[in-house]
Amino acid sequence: MYAKTVVLKNASGLHARPASEFVACAKQFASKIYIKNLGDPEAVPANAKSIVRVLAAGIPVDTQIEISAEGEDETAAVDRLADLIETGLGED
Amino acid sequence: MKIFKGTPVSPGVAEGYVYLYQAFSCDVYETYVQSGEETTALSSYERAVRAADDELLHLIASFSAGNADKAKIFAAHREILADEEMDEEIRSAILSERQAADFAVNRVYTEFALLLSKVGDALIAARATDIRDVRNRLIRILHGETEKNLSTLQTPVVVVAHDLLPSDTATLDKKNVLAIVTEVGGTTSHSAILARSFGIPAVLGVPDVTEAFQDGIYAAVDAMSGEIYLEPDETVRRNIRKKRAAFLKDREDAARYLNDSGSLRDGTHIDIGLNIGSCAEVEPIRYCDFIGLFRTEFLYMQTDRLPDEEAQFSAYRDVLQQADGKPVTIRTLDVGGDKTLPGLSLPKEENPFLGCRALRLCLRNRDLFLTQLRAILRASVYGKLWVMFPMVGSLDDLRAAKEALAEAMRMLDQRGISYDKAVKTGVMIEIPSVALMAADVAAECDFASVGTNDLCQYLHAADRMNPDVKSYYQSFSPAMFRALRMIFDAFIAAGKPVSVCGELAGNPDAAPVLAGLGLRKFSMNAGSVAGVKRALRRFSLTEAQALAGQVCNLGTEHAVKELLAGLQSS
Repeated sequence: MYAKTVVLKNASGLHARPASEFVACAKQFASKIYIKNLGDPEAVPANAKSIVRVLAAGIPVDTQIEISAEGEDETAAVDRLADLIETGLGED
Repeated sequence: MKIFKGTPVSPGVAEGYVYLYQAFSCDVYETYVQSGEETTALSSYERAVRAADDELLHLIASFSAGNADKAKIFAAHREILADEEMDEEIRSAILSERQAADFAVNRVYTEFALLLSKVGDALIAARATDIRDVRNRLIRILHGETEKNLSTLQTPVVVVAHDLLPSDTATLDKKNVLAIVTEVGGTTSHSAILARSFGIPAVLGVPDVTEAFQDGIYAAVDAMSGEIYLEPDETVRRNIRKKRAAFLKDREDAARYLNDSGSLRDGTHIDIGLNIGSCAEVEPIRYCDFIGLFRTEFLYMQTDRLPDEEAQFSAYRDVLQQADGKPVTIRTLDVGGDKTLPGLSLPKEENPFLGCRALRLCLRNRDLFLTQLRAILRASVYGKLWVMFPMVGSLDDLRAAKEALAEAMRMLDQRGISYDKAVKTGVMIEIPSVALMAADVAAECDFASVGTNDLCQYLHAADRMNPDVKSYYQSFSPAMFRALRMIFDAFIAAGKPVSVCGELAGNPDAAPVLAGLGLRKFSMNAGSVAGVKRALRRFSLTEAQALAGQVCNLGTEHAVKELLAGLQSS
């Protein structure tokens, strides 16, 4: 198990296209990958390969999120996804 | 050959193959498969997923570059179809609980849609609709039915349906609809208004057509006389083609007046306005002087959630920006009556048209109203914005509406957001009580626009949705014109603008009468502009005034119509 904490910077949160980008990227890895909204004390880790779960996590801008993975490519997966979020998921 | 008859609501003549439209109803029962049948159920699920994905790919490929928005929606549907968690849950429901494929799909997709609809962010919550769409697609495939959808027609067809919901018509694939035929509805129903604004021939209120017509059968629609021919013979088809040619020629003739300014023969200027329901309909503003009616309901009908301030603001701003600096009259939310909202549950009323609709509903749901008013005010800096309240019945209503607007202004002031402080405020005159109080209303607002459809229904106490009282709904009655004269006189005396944005303003027969009564602002659907401009040019002001006087002195609608028909033929 490997995890990293990052801050979401996209102005309108993790919705629509950014969420699609994120899920598409997660699907390239074999590991089980989770995304957790640290700003919500009741949040449970959401399956990062499920577009509906990621959307349902309802993550707004400036929120701390934890990305964790378990499996053969866990480090590469978490690093790559954390990087994707920090660079704004293809949005300006 | 069989002949059917209904109410022609949007002129034109067409022939073609029938497309019987029925909104798909997702009937799924709690079913389980026999022990040992699990893998068969699983493979039918897998086949359905592949078939759904193929349909989506096909749809995406069929959209042209200009339709990128629709393509995007279906690309999102493919992502949902490939959702790992929903897929896993469905598989496990089939394999370990022996649920039938359609039952498992229905349960899991419905649960996830519900989950999403509870998210605080309205944009995300709105995607629950997408999940339900994909669910319906899968279940339809599992039930072995073909797709029925008016937004994605493959060939030109005559659409036959029991009724079209505003959501069906809003996404209509216009270029492939030759004509519309429905069992319910009349001249002023939403289907009719949209058919006219798209220029699609339509006949509504035709009994039993969905039973008599099947997919692929040939039909001719005469939306001038209201006749529909099922499997027309050669003689009928020849006549239909002749009539169609004459109609197109007349429309072409009228089109020569399209770019002229609106005026009577002696040069008396008439402002011609445009009625719209979305930003997609603003383009014809180039040959009009103003937008006399921007209906905001459609914004509220697109999702299961009420649109938030941002979404509304950007829609209003888009219209203002495209309007070339010409005034845009935004009507605040007008629901209730025949229009319901997916995002707002309204109690069922005995008499919805006499119930809590439009402004009444907004005043009761203050947050809903204030959200819209803030969005409207914020858009006011992008052009000339006029705000109009529907269903004002008294000075109390007008004052309450203005008070709400003032509150919305204070809220924006607190947030430091700018808006046009002198935004014009007006009323829609459609309730007889306020027509009688026109002079008092004129003193307390900046302008008025007459909604002749509702005015006619309230004046004659005739439900405009009820075919049995159709003959009582008389939009050309002397009573109508006398009421209009009273309203126009009051606003002209007060020096305040008054317009008509109801169906009467787009009717070429009524045009000279209205001008003669003093009306100088007509607002209508794009499709009516050319015909009304042409009709106005046939009369001088003196002639129009004489005609208006004659009409008001007549005793029955029949006499009015006879008089006007006589003018046409002379």
